[in-house]
Amino acid sequence: MREQQDTDELTGALARATPLLREAPAPRAAWRDALLEAVTADDGVRPLRWSVRPIAAIAACAACLIAGAALSYGVMRGRPTAPNPALASAGYVRHGAQGRLPVRFAVEAPEAVHVSIVGDFNGWNPAGLPLHRLADGRTWEVEVGLTPGRYAYAFVVDGRLARDSSAAESGADDFGVPNSVVLVGGS
Amino acid sequence: MLVRAALAGDPAAFAALVDRHAPACLRFASRMLGNREDAEDATQEAFVRAHRALARYDEQMRFRTWVMSILANRCRTALLHRQRRVARVVIDGDAVEQAVGPPTGDDGDLRDAIERALARLDAAQREAFVLKHVEMMSYDEMSAITGAGVSALKMRVQRACERLQGLLREDGYA
Repeated sequence: MREQQDTDELTGALARATPLLREAPAPRAAWRDALLEAVTADDGVRPLRWSVRPIAAIAACAACLIAGAALSYGVMRGRPTAPNPALASAGYVRHGAQGRLPVRFAVEAPEAVHVSIVGDFNGWNPAGLPLHRLADGRTWEVEVGLTPGRYAYAFVVDGRLARDSSAAESGADDFGVPNSVVLVGGS
Repeated sequence: MLVRAALAGDPAAFAALVDRHAPACLRFASRMLGNREDAEDATQEAFVRAHRALARYDEQMRFRTWVMSILANRCRTALLHRQRRVARVVIDGDAVEQAVGPPTGDDGDLRDAIERALARLDAAQREAFVLKHVEMMSYDEMSAITGAGVSALKMRVQRACERLQGLLREDGYA
């Protein structure tokens, strides 16, 4: 990371007092042990997950590119493109409309009463995009039409923000919960 | 590299990361939250979250910066949860002054004075000041940790310094 010349200089009493704040407390041995125990015991709570496996995600990205290319080709040839059953069966990408690609977000939250999704695509409005519960009683799902790009998002499970632990994490964390990121491929 | 070894499941490697970075993390959290107990809780939670997210750690960022960004969020969350409780506390300036007494000129008094002054800053200014002048970070690192722009951070640091100077003056330190 690039370092920059900082010109801040402290003066007067503040210059004398601030170094006193730099004394680092030695971690207590019991606290350190408890921390390492907590880390060992934590297997990464994953109540929520993408319904798309990594291999499927790779296939979906490839499908996005193929779909985009096919769409562009169809437009250039002046004829409509038919949905590709092979792509639709991935449950991720079907034919686009006005440049949007359907992206399915799914989480497992069997105890939840209400689940919605917030993200860059809906102005982080929790009322905007509710998920519906599937017949298995565990999975909540919604399909969102997104133009190609990078979107940070999080789920709201019964009023509490929860990131998608199996998706990439964004650097932003404005609400105390790291956001997840989805990349939507384009042509 | 310790992170890679920890990712490969070596518990000693993660313990080494904790040993290397915990003192600074505890210091930052203590300055942000004002007491050791809350700082330990926030730091422990930050390390657990860091361990859980280790696979997504970007090696282009210093580990310290990364774990501090997680910790800064934990501190913000802790402060939000605390707001309601703190709002009921009435600060009696006269009582505090009498209890503290005039400065005697030693470091202990000055340390108490700067800690009290720091606690009276708003959280964003306190965070910026501590990252800059206690953790000695560059504005680029601070930006990566807080998500705020460099200009905004410089402004926060400047205002924090002015406010701290004023509060120290009120306490008798020129």
